[in-house]
Amino acid sequence: MMDMASDISLTGIGKTYGGAGRPTIAGLSLEVKAGEFMVFVGPSGCGKTTLLRMIAGLEDISEGEVAFDGRRVNELGPAERGAAMVFQSYALYPHMTVAENLGFGLKMTGVKTAEREAAVARVAETLQLSQLLDRKPKALSGGQRQRVAIGRAIVRSPKVFLFDEPLSNLDANLRVQMRVELARLHRELGTTMIYVTHDQVEAMTLGQRIAVFNAGRIEQVGTPLDLYHRPGNRFVAEFIGSPRMNMLPARCEGGAAMVLAAGGWRLPAEGSGLNELHTVGVRPEDLQPGPVGEGAVQAEVRLVEQLGDATLLHLQVSGAEPGIAARLNGSVHDWQPGQQVGLRCAADKLRCFDSAGRSLA
Amino acid sequence: MTTSTLPAVMLGAGPGLRTGRLAGHFAAYGALALGAFVMLLPFYYMMVFATHTNTDILSVPPPSWFGDHLLENLNDLLARRPRFWHSMGLSVWIALAVTVLNLFFCSLAGYAFAMFDFAGKEKFFGFIMATMLLPAFVSMIPTVLLMSQLGWINESRALIVPAACGAVGVFMMRQYIGSAIPRELVEAARMDGCGEFDIYWRVVLPLLGPALGTLALVTFIGSYNNFIGALLVMRDQDAYTLPLVLRSLQGTSGITWGALSVGAAVTVLPLLVLFVVYSRRLIDGLTAGAVKG
Repeated sequence: MMDMASDISLTGIGKTYGGAGRPTIAGLSLEVKAGEFMVFVGPSGCGKTTLLRMIAGLEDISEGEVAFDGRRVNELGPAERGAAMVFQSYALYPHMTVAENLGFGLKMTGVKTAEREAAVARVAETLQLSQLLDRKPKALSGGQRQRVAIGRAIVRSPKVFLFDEPLSNLDANLRVQMRVELARLHRELGTTMIYVTHDQVEAMTLGQRIAVFNAGRIEQVGTPLDLYHRPGNRFVAEFIGSPRMNMLPARCEGGAAMVLAAGGWRLPAEGSGLNELHTVGVRPEDLQPGPVGEGAVQAEVRLVEQLGDATLLHLQVSGAEPGIAARLNGSVHDWQPGQQVGLRCAADKLRCFDSAGRSLA
Repeated sequence: MTTSTLPAVMLGAGPGLRTGRLAGHFAAYGALALGAFVMLLPFYYMMVFATHTNTDILSVPPPSWFGDHLLENLNDLLARRPRFWHSMGLSVWIALAVTVLNLFFCSLAGYAFAMFDFAGKEKFFGFIMATMLLPAFVSMIPTVLLMSQLGWINESRALIVPAACGAVGVFMMRQYIGSAIPRELVEAARMDGCGEFDIYWRVVLPLLGPALGTLALVTFIGSYNNFIGALLVMRDQDAYTLPLVLRSLQGTSGITWGALSVGAAVTVLPLLVLFVVYSRRLIDGLTAGAVKG
């Protein structure tokens, strides 16, 4: 299986566009293991797609080195790198049938007709496209187009798959289906996959590891649960998880105890690590709303959202801007807008950050 | 108060507004009809005169309906210009060659300007556009000298090669490709292992149908009607294109209007057929890229 996949090594990668003073990406290094499903996630304009395009060979590399299996590929063209890419807009050739779209890459590399047709039929079978081979892209639904785009990448048996937000044009139901499909494909093909998205749910569900991007650099790389439970900094903590992690102002007082500015929680500081404490983060599902009282942060219910499987409370804590959220399992009807509530939380669920946003514990 | 007067106001304004709009429509259509009449009248008279004798044509008032001397006029034309059909073939050949070359070179250049970033791109494009500002007559003497030095006088290539790529075509193709061909399509082809010329030939060119159709029509008509260019480099009667043949019928010893009219009508015929068949595409192509579709 391993000869079907390449490991990718990025060393000191930088990208500066002509005329732009500030680099879009600067000094970025990352190792992607052979056969790994790596997800690049981050807000719009953070450089994740630019990096993907640099790996693909569609964008010049201003500095640093991209290597596939230890071989520098900076100077190689996109096709010579052995990578295939699925584009956000699918980029199917409108004047060609599905079969021609699937076989175009093989045709261009000189594969004989019989061999090409067999490969196309095999891929069409895998992706349930056999009935659609004679259709043009305009006669396909969004999901079918997406499958053709993926098929076009698979048919060349590349060692690396690159996905640039491939599901962003699909509706919610289809997106879930295609996520399952992609996970299955990765299991079956065992190929290295790099997947760019700004949707952290896609990142969490698909990625074996996730690289969180922000402003042209990687904030943290780790498994989905690593990032969720042990975010390296405030940006990652807030970006991963939906609803996002709540942030409350905090400080260390008296060297032994941590007091939240919102009042209520007092926790043992346990040594000097928390001297720089500035913010405390807590996941919405870790907050336990109850009656107002000793040891609870007091808040006012602003809005109650019933999601069916869960209830979201939007709360306002005095001295904390903006509001925070609590997620309760099931349909909970105990709370009404305007009601005062006391919030409690287990100490080990709190994430502490200094003023620069670095994780303290 | 307001609620009681509002319906009255609306009732009063409605028909007035409708009448005003109708009058506007009539005025607009009237102006368009007048314009169409003024433009079509010479064509109509050309067709009518093609079927009358010289005497009929020169009578006052001139004939306004078709006569029965078409064949006579045609025979007269062929007697005066026995190489008429040869000239027509030459005109069609030159126009076709110029059209095919324009489609190829203009789309290739337009593709490069629309999809590639290279040093001096905007300046180079500006330079090409600036050539549109030069009056055609400025280049007359250099063209004659050049063709003469190349030994191309009286040869069809003297009309084909200089017209093989035009600034208007390059501009039109750049605009169309920029708006109609997604960059990702080109990149997908690159990922598929397509060479740069193959991307143009196999992916971009097949998608340029509407723009190519329009450019083909405009170029063909322009080349087919080209009088000045042919006048400069085609000197022997054997090398005459149709505009020169028609001009040569207007001698100092008097003009045979019947033969001239039938010649003009036969000359216009291929263009009319082309236009009728492709007018829809021409209009679509001219507006393509103007709005996001």
